[in-house]
Amino acid sequence: MEIKNRRTFLQIISGGIIAFFIFIWNKLTLNHIEISGEKEKMLPFNKNKTISFYGNYIIVNQENKTTVLSSHCTHLGCRIDKQENGRLVCPCHGSEYDLNGSVLKGPAYKNLRIVPSEITDEGKNILIKG
Amino acid sequence: MAKKKNKTTFGTLALAMFWLVAVSGVFLAIPFDVKSPYLSISNMMVSNPWASLIRNFHYWSSQFFLVFSLIHLYDHFHYKQKVGLKKGMAFRLSLAVLTISLAMISGFLLKGDADSEQARQILKTLSERIPLIGESLAYSLLGDSENYQLIYVHHIATFTIFIAIAMVEHSRKYWPPISDFILSFVGTLGISYLLSAPLHDNLNPAVKGPWYFVGFQEILHWLKHPEWSLLLFLGVLLLIYFVNSAKGKTMFLSKRTLLVFSAFYGILTIIGLFFRGENWKWETPWNNEYSYSVLHNFKTPKVKLSPDYTIREAMSSPVIQGRKESCLACHTNTHGFTDSHSPEAIGCFSCHGGNPFATGKKQSHRNMILIPGNLNTANQSCGTTQCHPEIVERVPTGLMATLSGMISVDRFVFNEQDNPDILTDVHRLGNSAADEHLKNLCVRCHLGNPKTVYGPITETSRGGGCLACHLNYSEEAKNALAQNNGDLINAHPEISLKITNNHCFGCHSRSGRISTSYEGWHETTLLASEMPDSSNYRLIEESRVFIKKKEDVHHQLGLQCIDCHHSYEVMGDGNHYAHQEDQQDVQCSDCHIDGQPKIISAEDLDNESAIIAALRFGNISERKFLVTEKHNRALINTFVENDSIYFLTKNSGKKMTMKSPAAVCTRDNAHSSLSCSSCHTSWAPTCIGCHNSFDENERAYNMIKNQEQKGGWVEYIGEYKAQQPTLGIRKTENKTEVIPVLPGMILTIDKKSFSKNENDADIFHRLYAPAAPHTTSAKGRSCVSCHNDPVALGYGEGELKYEIKNGEGKWLFNAKYENIEDGLPADAWVDFLKTRDGKVSTRSNVFPFSVEQQKNILTVGACLTCHSENSELMKKSLNNFDDLLKNRSSRCVSPDWE
Ligand code: FES
Repeated sequence: MEIKNRRTFLQIISGGIIAFFIFIWNKLTLNHIEISGEKEKMLPFNKNKTISFYGNYIIVNQENKTTVLSSHCTHLGCRIDKQENGRLVCPCHGSEYDLNGSVLKGPAYKNLRIVPSEITDEGKNILIKG
Repeated sequence: MAKKKNKTTFGTLALAMFWLVAVSGVFLAIPFDVKSPYLSISNMMVSNPWASLIRNFHYWSSQFFLVFSLIHLYDHFHYKQKVGLKKGMAFRLSLAVLTISLAMISGFLLKGDADSEQARQILKTLSERIPLIGESLAYSLLGDSENYQLIYVHHIATFTIFIAIAMVEHSRKYWPPISDFILSFVGTLGISYLLSAPLHDNLNPAVKGPWYFVGFQEILHWLKHPEWSLLLFLGVLLLIYFVNSAKGKTMFLSKRTLLVFSAFYGILTIIGLFFRGENWKWETPWNNEYSYSVLHNFKTPKVKLSPDYTIREAMSSPVIQGRKESCLACHTNTHGFTDSHSPEAIGCFSCHGGNPFATGKKQSHRNMILIPGNLNTANQSCGTTQCHPEIVERVPTGLMATLSGMISVDRFVFNEQDNPDILTDVHRLGNSAADEHLKNLCVRCHLGNPKTVYGPITETSRGGGCLACHLNYSEEAKNALAQNNGDLINAHPEISLKITNNHCFGCHSRSGRISTSYEGWHETTLLASEMPDSSNYRLIEESRVFIKKKEDVHHQLGLQCIDCHHSYEVMGDGNHYAHQEDQQDVQCSDCHIDGQPKIISAEDLDNESAIIAALRFGNISERKFLVTEKHNRALINTFVENDSIYFLTKNSGKKMTMKSPAAVCTRDNAHSSLSCSSCHTSWAPTCIGCHNSFDENERAYNMIKNQEQKGGWVEYIGEYKAQQPTLGIRKTENKTEVIPVLPGMILTIDKKSFSKNENDADIFHRLYAPAAPHTTSAKGRSCVSCHNDPVALGYGEGELKYEIKNGEGKWLFNAKYENIEDGLPADAWVDFLKTRDGKVSTRSNVFPFSVEQQKNILTVGACLTCHSENSELMKKSLNNFDDLLKNRSSRCVSPDWE
């Protein structure tokens, strides 16, 4: 009985320690993500190019409207870096989106995220927010 | 136990492999640079064969470690009824399988190539979608997306230590015999020497995970919610756990499930590896793209311990798009490029393919594209993502690539289709009489016809994709090619915007012959041997004899083809057009403007036009350009400044002031429906009476296969003439205009010679074709050349006479040529003072003048028989002809049409 109690006690303590570590790990990581995450990004802007691919973003100019889309496919996050016949095509599993970021072909079913942006410096640059 | 120690099993081999992985990993850490992994690996492959060997060793030993571990696991299930491990042990074993996967995949990520980057994104997204801890987990595993630091730490420490512990635990019981080490070492070394570890070239659009995950990638592509696939993972680990620890039915079922799953996964892996290409599209080995899209993963070079170049040469070669290319270590000092295509900017591989990481000539040159730019490979060279993908996508839609108009008209003429406007493509030719006719006689001139020999574009060139227009050889490059004795050639031809008339000449000096007409040359039926020795004659392609005629006024001023034709016209604008006049955008009135010009400022130019304009003319930021009426495209070599319009020649930058059209052209009341070319064409080449038949014994040519064949269509030509064109009417949605037309197809086709069906009657057609003669003269044609001319009116050559008898005027016509099949003179479009309908032209919207129109024209013609066209009266008649006619004097006799 003695021993059994002792073991349970030890188990609880070690469980607690593990939980504490998980807690600390989760906290520190989330904090780190928050402080190191990029909030804004300035990219060169060319209003006459219909589609420009810049790393995590796709800038689309259509009918005098500029939209910044996240280049990460909503299926599994692969980076879309090309268009075929006016469709944005994901290289990993072939999802397709139109230039507004709406899904045309799966496996993805969610539209590409539209990223808030603002054209600055008299149209020379574009400020991407988040 | 002691006995077991010395027995070789997959377990002992796996153990041996593990230590080989660990040791080679330590060595690999020396040349590997986690700050720029892709560059450092490509650098190893190109410049440091020993490092490359170690990398391969690390790779292969790890793959074998994985495979042997899995087989070993399976062996355990297989040999014993029940594994019966303790729960803790079984748990650790399942965990070990997970850790091995993580160690493997982190190694895959550390290549930093296109495959790795996308795999990293997938892993990140999958882990992020785990509830509660997803975000932390993803970050803790993969770290900051800008670098590979954390992945590296996990790869060399976290996962490795864990596996090492498991291995040591094993090793206490089973230490592999020394022979296992030797066997593993020698085997792996051999394979490492023969097959390099994969590295993506970052150009090929197909991306795949590591081989053991492509099955998983296949599963992922079915799933809308791929995060559920993680349960699959968990399931497999649980099964392994149960197999190891459970008893009885649970164990048996787990074993079976695992087996079935493994078989299923094996099939998926094969599908993923061998049947999936770009965008995970299904590809089969008989598909043209198969080798490029699927097999590129397997094309990996052998290590060459003494490369074909020195280390110094390798070191001094530039870094191209984040990687080293071995090409430039041998091909140093290759020159002749424009800046944007120089090897320092794009290397050799971007255009020529091959293997950029191989270090010997043979391996590097394997699968090379010797002549890049042909349309069949353009998507692998000119059209890759970083270069000109939009253009390469567009070009095949244009008429110069589809030949839609030519094919459709030919089929129409062969009575194989009802109208000449159906869209089609040269790649869809069948075996009908018309299609065979096209293959034998016409379809050599399309952009998709590949260029197969080196050398500049000449008058004999046909097709050649991008090269057809953009290839230029300098004198040096030409000489180097001529003297080629097997040594490295350093003088490279140029790919540039320097597009000259010579580029267009090969194809456009045929059929409509606009290239030759523009320069003022008219083809005769003389043989080369009959050509008079005079500068008035010119021999083309060593067989065709041309005689001097009047050149186009624009040619006289130094304008070249591309001065009027812009990139969207020539390379297509992505739309499919039925005929040349539909795709063609620029009209005379776009430049010769009466009234307010339509303009666009430099900052609003589309990207392509802006780039071309800047490359040609430097800083264009303040300019305002003219815009075409029809398709709204900028004319980048024009600009408007202080109310004047200027024009620059594209290749030489010669500046000219644009002329407005003359007052006669813009006056609205007479001649307003005449197109500019109906008046300003000075001559056009015509050919009448042509016969086509199929000759079984003819040594013919198949222009699609580019090879000779026995039997083919033969064309027996008629007479060539240079004369002012006939006029016809084109009716489109927005306007009806008078245009120049030519006797395009007055022909007979002996159909039964092809079909061998005696009931097939000869086909006869009398079709005129709209023309763009390209022989513009500044001065328009004279009044009588239309109003009193039988050719202009469509009657064909002959004597057109106005006769006044007994106070009554009558037009009479005497044809020069005899009547043929259909009762009309050989060269006529219509009978005198009659018209035709039905199949009358090679378009569905082009017609001869109606009888009413002919009468109107001839009424004026009657006046012109007495009154000079320069007389005050005739000039006045332009404003008010009907009044003048009503009030004419009694001496004037107008035609009596009754
Ligand atoms: S990640 Fe884009 S389709 Fe799967």
